[in-house]
Amino acid sequence: MSGPTRREFLKTGALVAGGVILTRTGVFPEAVFGADAVPTLSVARWDEALLAEADLTQMAVKLTETAVANLGGLDRFVEKGHTVWIKPNIGWNRRPELAANTNPDVVGTLVRLCLEAGAKTVKVGDHPCHPARQCYRNSGITKAVEAEGGKMIYLDKKRFIDAEIGGEHLTTWPVYAEVTDADLVINVPVLKHHGLTGVSAAMKNYMGVIGGNRGSWHQNMDACLTDITAFMKPRITLLDAVRTLNDHGPQGGDPNDVSVRGVVAASTDIVALDALGVTLLGHAPADIKPIAAAEARGLGTADFASLNPVEQIVS
Amino acid sequence: MSVYTKARRIIWIRRAVQGLALFLFVYLLTANRPADGVAPTAPVTFFFDLNPLVTLSSWLSTHTFEGLSLLALLTVGVTLIFGRVFCGWFCPMGTLHNMVGSLRDQFRKVVPRKESYSKWQRAKYFVLVALLVMAAAGAQWTGVLDPFSLLYRSLALTVIPALDAGLSETANAVYLSDPHLGGLHFRDWTDPVYIWWKDHVTATELRVFSGSGLVFLVFIAALVANLYRNRFWCRYICPLGGLLGLISFRPLLRLTSDPAACNSCKKCTLACPAAAQPELPNEWLATECFGCWNCVGSCDNQGLDFKWFSPIKKSSEGSVDLGKRRLLAAGVSGVAGLAMLRVTPAAHGKTFESSLIRPPGALPERDFLQRCVRCGLCMQTCPSGGLQPTFAEAGLEGLWSPVLVPAIGWCEFNCHACGQVCPTGAIEPLDLPVKQKVKIGLAVIDSTRCLPYAYGRECIVCEEHCPVPDKAITFEYRDATQRDGSVRRLKFPRVDPDRCTGCGICETKCPFQDKAAIRVTSAGEDRHPENQPMLPAEAGGYYYEQDSQSDQSSDPYGYN
Repeated sequence: MSGPTRREFLKTGALVAGGVILTRTGVFPEAVFGADAVPTLSVARWDEALLAEADLTQMAVKLTETAVANLGGLDRFVEKGHTVWIKPNIGWNRRPELAANTNPDVVGTLVRLCLEAGAKTVKVGDHPCHPARQCYRNSGITKAVEAEGGKMIYLDKKRFIDAEIGGEHLTTWPVYAEVTDADLVINVPVLKHHGLTGVSAAMKNYMGVIGGNRGSWHQNMDACLTDITAFMKPRITLLDAVRTLNDHGPQGGDPNDVSVRGVVAASTDIVALDALGVTLLGHAPADIKPIAAAEARGLGTADFASLNPVEQIVS
Repeated sequence: MSVYTKARRIIWIRRAVQGLALFLFVYLLTANRPADGVAPTAPVTFFFDLNPLVTLSSWLSTHTFEGLSLLALLTVGVTLIFGRVFCGWFCPMGTLHNMVGSLRDQFRKVVPRKESYSKWQRAKYFVLVALLVMAAAGAQWTGVLDPFSLLYRSLALTVIPALDAGLSETANAVYLSDPHLGGLHFRDWTDPVYIWWKDHVTATELRVFSGSGLVFLVFIAALVANLYRNRFWCRYICPLGGLLGLISFRPLLRLTSDPAACNSCKKCTLACPAAAQPELPNEWLATECFGCWNCVGSCDNQGLDFKWFSPIKKSSEGSVDLGKRRLLAAGVSGVAGLAMLRVTPAAHGKTFESSLIRPPGALPERDFLQRCVRCGLCMQTCPSGGLQPTFAEAGLEGLWSPVLVPAIGWCEFNCHACGQVCPTGAIEPLDLPVKQKVKIGLAVIDSTRCLPYAYGRECIVCEEHCPVPDKAITFEYRDATQRDGSVRRLKFPRVDPDRCTGCGICETKCPFQDKAAIRVTSAGEDRHPENQPMLPAEAGGYYYEQDSQSDQSSDPYGYN
């Protein structure tokens, strides 16, 4: 017999597979093994000609459904009986029209899709900058989530536990245990301007699962965001660009800084999703430092076009 | 129906009313916790509207008839007819004293000698006179001893935060250690209780108040005094009790006693919480009596009863004949107290306290202190927990009045609750769009601490939290040389004094947690024309004079 024995075959196979994972640490299973079989990036756009007169609730619902469906549906990620934590941006006591927080109907639709995919419990929560009860309510998210059967969770300052981040800059940092305990975390940020990083999207949204002195992160935002993203190991991320906040972010407050873009995107590659968002706001992904840093770390690709995004115009 | 049966029934009705009133007081207190929207919707000032002392002292201190409440007139009317039933049937502070007094009876032997009338009970009238004299001269200190203010302040600033802290520590300890027997998790029992408490009693964030120890001490002292004399506070000190006592000089419903039925057993003396002398026929003290009916129910011979217009003889002692000299002494004490409060530079506008940042809508300091009764409603409703009771910032005159401490919490942009719940108008009820433009102070950058200035590091935290839509903190790009000689172009924050409202969120959120690198000072506050360092952008007066052209609805967000 000249061929490899069964044992040798298994051994070689394991080494190769392990090697792939080791050399591309931080690249997540779907991105490695599923690239050809299933889509890694889907973009749902509202017909631009109809953007002005569209009903934004209906738009947000349809775009979310389309983006998730074109990524292969939530069945890929949610198993029966799972507990899912949806992490929108609910950082500010601002109403939905000001686009400082994730669109409530995007979040509500996502809750429904999770439950339809078999999730047992869908929890929704953020660590806001303003008082949580007012943020949750005035963002419209409480109403949307509870209408779909999700649970709003108020984070408790004392339940952030030091986690082994094992990053390049962060070794340990307090992270909310209930979030990391969930079977699946779906990060669903709103796309908006940010005074430091230029753009705030998915990676920046992970600042809502951490405690500690968050303000100090701004001294080395690129490294901190890369570290927390690697730690969170995102499997699916959605980007809400139904409305975007184009200036005076991340909080905004002036309706003139907001525009209706009618885009929701979903991806297994968080870096590609952020790069897509950056492009939507008119920047080049290479100019946004956290994206460049995350790509250099191997967390994904900023060249989102290379993922052959599934695009669909919805109306 | 015998007198005894009637009395027992009335006593049970009274207890039910007392319980309901206490429950309502606590309920309205919890209903005033930080609201989901922009202000609480429940009638949270109800008890203060009922309180004629708050109304009267506000009239005297402001020399106006503002804030007349029909409910306060109702209290006066009821007192004219039934006597001090407000104290015996309604006052939640009195009910708490009742409860402690009942406890005492379990532990101590009570003798009639100690429970009979004492001339010291006139002290409450002197307290009242002293407070009203102070108020008339312009210093409102009534709230320090007013029973509703005292009770509200004590519960909101000390008792509930203490319970909240205890429950939070317990639930979090159980959650984090997660003790369990197989699939049986203890946290599945503790967490629902904790979450219910947070949802229905307190706020999502634990709020605690500085200087609450002194507030608590006064409250506990008032409760413990019941071990010495039943309802000590109500008999000897309470200025509201004193006011109602004066009003109930000749009530229409009066205690009558049958001298022939009295065997001097003194059971009624022991039963009387007010030391109103039910045991001395025809020497019953209308001004002391709470109308509680305990004496009627205690008399074995059924010799006591309340009847309309029964004769009152002038009693040998204990009337409201306080004596001219004593009244004069009380008045002089009031003036002396006033002088003591006023001999500070700040009281005369010689200095301004930089940390005295009043809530938005607060009147100019003198007018503010003439109205504020230190009840704590504004602090209880403040969502960030930044409104705190003063200790020294406003002098002794302003003890326990509200001050924003940005190191603890800020003035939330989309909130105007404090002015909406203030029972006396010390904080004006501004519409939200007006409130969002009121300047309560000004942010000052400390370049010896600010990260870009002092350390050449990146930081934009103050700017990103600035809630003013077009930002009161702007950036100036400057080069900062790093230790390796390289140069980084950084954003240096700068405060725009025309836009900054002094809300203080920049100070709360600054990465420097001990002493922020950007701090709010009271200078620039709209309410004080003298405390202005800047030439106004438009020298056009202050926000109080401006009309609010607002479309403020009760539900500006549409999510109710």
